[in-house]
Amino acid sequence: MADDDPNEARAIERVQAGDAAAYDYLVRKYLGRAVSIAYGVVRNAHDAEDLAQEAFVKAYRSIGRFRAGEPFGPWIFRIVTNSALDVLKHRTKFRHEELADTAPAARRDDAELPARSSEIARRIDAALESLPEMQRLVARLHLIEEFEHSEIAAMTGLSDGTVRSHLSLARKKLKETLADLYD
Amino acid sequence: MTEHDDFLARLRNDARPLRHQPDEATLARIHARIMEQIAPQPTLAELLAAWFRPLVATALAISLCAGIGVMTLRDDIAVVDSAIEISVEGDTYRVAD
Repeated sequence: MADDDPNEARAIERVQAGDAAAYDYLVRKYLGRAVSIAYGVVRNAHDAEDLAQEAFVKAYRSIGRFRAGEPFGPWIFRIVTNSALDVLKHRTKFRHEELADTAPAARRDDAELPARSSEIARRIDAALESLPEMQRLVARLHLIEEFEHSEIAAMTGLSDGTVRSHLSLARKKLKETLADLYD
Repeated sequence: MTEHDDFLARLRNDARPLRHQPDEATLARIHARIMEQIAPQPTLAELLAAWFRPLVATALAISLCAGIGVMTLRDDIAVVDSAIEISVEGDTYRVAD
């Protein structure tokens, strides 16, 4: 929360007053997490980096509309999540049109999984990927990025109840898929 | 903690290696690109000033050289003008200051 971090609140005020250099603090604080969130959606490191970069530039250009006192994190995470979902939709459409390109793309994405991923993590990753889009997004944000329901609701624009519903359905499917690991 | 929550807690723990953590160099590169993109753009007046500044400096340098050249030439003429002519037995001699 911005209330918990006076430096963040001050940085936002200075940026809103036209001091571009003050944006440095916000970028340093949230960039890593933004890249990670984008990666969780698009599953490609380069795309995730570009998305995070664009999200920060977009946020800077809209900083005048940002309400003072609000936390910056959920706002930038929401921008990056929405941008990543747009990329995913575009990519899905593209892949449906050109099925021949699907296999190499999938292999590339899989190869970019963190090298230290254990076999269990890979199983979880595969199970998450088998979920419908919104369940997958909510489950990834909750399980991997470790956001709580309310934070996910703020980031995705979904209601708290919808987030809980998606997570409940995802949890049920994951439990079935990973039954041999967690029984 | 319920059995359901326990399942999620175990999943969270086991899924931790799946979090993508870009290295410092990557973060620094993205950071630099962001700051570059948001850096204030120069106004039209600043752009024109930046373009005209070397032209004005060149013109001033040329004017200065020309001024010094003219002054030197005038001194030479003055020397010539102030020369004294002495005629001795039909021969004319010029004596400068």
